[in-house]
Amino acid sequence: MLRIKNLKCSYGSIMAVQGVSLSVREGELISIIGANGSGKSTLLLAVCGLLTTWEGEILFKDQNLKGMSPPAIVRQGISMVPEGRQIFSPLSVMDNLKMGGYTIYRKGLKKQVLQDFDMVMELFPILRERADQLAGTLSGGEQQMLAIGRALMARPSLLVLDEPSMGLAPKIVEMIFEIIKNLRQEGVTILLVEQNARAALKIADRGYVLETGKMVLQGSAEELLVDDDVKRAYLGRDYGNFYDGRD
Amino acid sequence: MRGEKRRGEEMMQLCNLTVEDKNQLKLERLQSTLNRACKNVPFHRNRLIESRLLPENIVSLTDLERLPFMERSHLGIHYPYGLFAVPLRDIVRIHTAPGTGTNPSISGYTKTDLMIWQKLVARSLESAGVTSMDILQINLPPGLANWGRDYKDGAENIGASVIPNSPLSLAKTLMVLRDYKTTTLVTTLAFAEQLMEHMFENERNPNEFNLKRVVLVGEAVGGDQIRNLEEHLHVDVWLNYGLSEVPGPAIAFECISHCGMHINDDHILPEIIDPVTREVVPAGQAGELVLTTLSARAVPLIRFRTGDMARLLTAPCECGTPLMTMEWLPERADNMMIISGIKISREQVKIYLKDALGVSNPLCTMKKIRHGGTEILAISLVIDDLLFSDEIKNLQKLMVNTSDQLAELVGVPVKITLTEQKPDGRDLLEK
Repeated sequence: MLRIKNLKCSYGSIMAVQGVSLSVREGELISIIGANGSGKSTLLLAVCGLLTTWEGEILFKDQNLKGMSPPAIVRQGISMVPEGRQIFSPLSVMDNLKMGGYTIYRKGLKKQVLQDFDMVMELFPILRERADQLAGTLSGGEQQMLAIGRALMARPSLLVLDEPSMGLAPKIVEMIFEIIKNLRQEGVTILLVEQNARAALKIADRGYVLETGKMVLQGSAEELLVDDDVKRAYLGRDYGNFYDGRD
Repeated sequence: MRGEKRRGEEMMQLCNLTVEDKNQLKLERLQSTLNRACKNVPFHRNRLIESRLLPENIVSLTDLERLPFMERSHLGIHYPYGLFAVPLRDIVRIHTAPGTGTNPSISGYTKTDLMIWQKLVARSLESAGVTSMDILQINLPPGLANWGRDYKDGAENIGASVIPNSPLSLAKTLMVLRDYKTTTLVTTLAFAEQLMEHMFENERNPNEFNLKRVVLVGEAVGGDQIRNLEEHLHVDVWLNYGLSEVPGPAIAFECISHCGMHINDDHILPEIIDPVTREVVPAGQAGELVLTTLSARAVPLIRFRTGDMARLLTAPCECGTPLMTMEWLPERADNMMIISGIKISREQVKIYLKDALGVSNPLCTMKKIRHGGTEILAISLVIDDLLFSDEIKNLQKLMVNTSDQLAELVGVPVKITLTEQKPDGRDLLEK
């Protein structure tokens, strides 16, 4: 579904992503893990068209995303749940969801938008209760649910999540991951970027590990969960002494 | 059972991939292998710098050709841990192979390496029809003991009952084979033939045994030899290809249609090169097999020259496998001999011989002989003034001691015979 080859992204003279290749196949839940500054979010910005100065190839359903605007990419079927949620605080929960359904509404499919409201409310019953409340007054977990719900309103074929666990209490994180897992079981293809490596790998099919802009590992979630290199990449710790602990 | 399900799913997924998807998978794995190797192994980093390359310059699978080759000797030069790409605390198993020079070759495995390897060995055994209903017996010479462990793990992963490799006499092995109702035997051609001969000498009927299949490892075996075994032992024979250094056995295996050997190319990428020009040859042409690991964590191999000769087959296999297929050829691209499935480096034997005899340049010839069903490294040593003694007893002692010493170092039985000095004094080995 998504195929990235040799992606390079730079901010001025700093190359944040240095020739990364990765792929997401239909129905998969893929986790990209890595420490702060490893280039995870930059990679997502390129996929969603928010960063335009990239080199390489990003194919989505065999179509090159080079030069496409973010709205055009949303219309292609990629929806993003951004880092820090980025909900529209002064708007009500309902209005936030309406914004998510805008592309469908523009196609004249009003009925579908209404169905999608129900689908999101069923998925997150708490949002139904809070429908008229201002989004800014929601708790962190509820805001994250709203951000996911808003992204789902665009009926994406690929849902991209950037650090959904960020700033949430452990109990709420658990719940959010459970929701992501359920979405995958319902057939949504998901690309998940996370610092919380263990939790992300536990629900993923496959994972990729980024380290300072380079892909250093990939494999099935099962393989990566026992890999010590993952811990090092995630903690941002360097290789250290080869004989460390075995002198 | 869980492992079986996962393996099945993985193979299904592989079958469902388009050619582009498969190439993408290989490219992703190749790129991260290069990133890891360059970051953590000075040997790989320096060689890339020498070739004026960075890992990010490798943007397609054809770019693999731009990378420098790795030779078997590099493993010995960087003994013991010089080629390890992870800290020692990540290593959960260490294997030793004889190598080619004074040092052995060391390979290590992380937990993930073992997990992947187990899966690949299981894949090859399943392809030979092994299931959880089978009793699998492993009989490999000490030089291939590493493979014995890998086959044990792979077979256990399938759920088969495993009789691990243990040094038993031929008669005892036969007893276990019969009494324990072994259905699958993993062994070398030399041992399978020895077993066959022993059975016939002792008038044992193959029908007394439950043996259904023999998985042969260690060397390319000709069709006639396979048919001979199949007819006499009433079994199906399956060939497996592996490397005794890193990463292990079952890199390639036969499927039910026996149309060649399928390479686990989702984890190990093959190339065929002309051993002289070192250029990649067109598909279908014979040449030296070069392997690049795509998922090995501990000791990645990048364009490793195996010395084995092979040919990639382009016709799709009846079994519908998504894996590449090769024909393993009996010739060699290097100067190694294969005795009981173990690769023996002539140069290394000469080094050992030098040390054992205490002379600087012993003249000798080497060949493989069979004696009483066992394959033996026969060394014909030229006796010169330095080695000569006028007492037969001393000469005999020299032969026996040196044979014993060498046998231990090389891992196969050695027989030394003495011969007279050649008039021109040429080093016969170099010939």
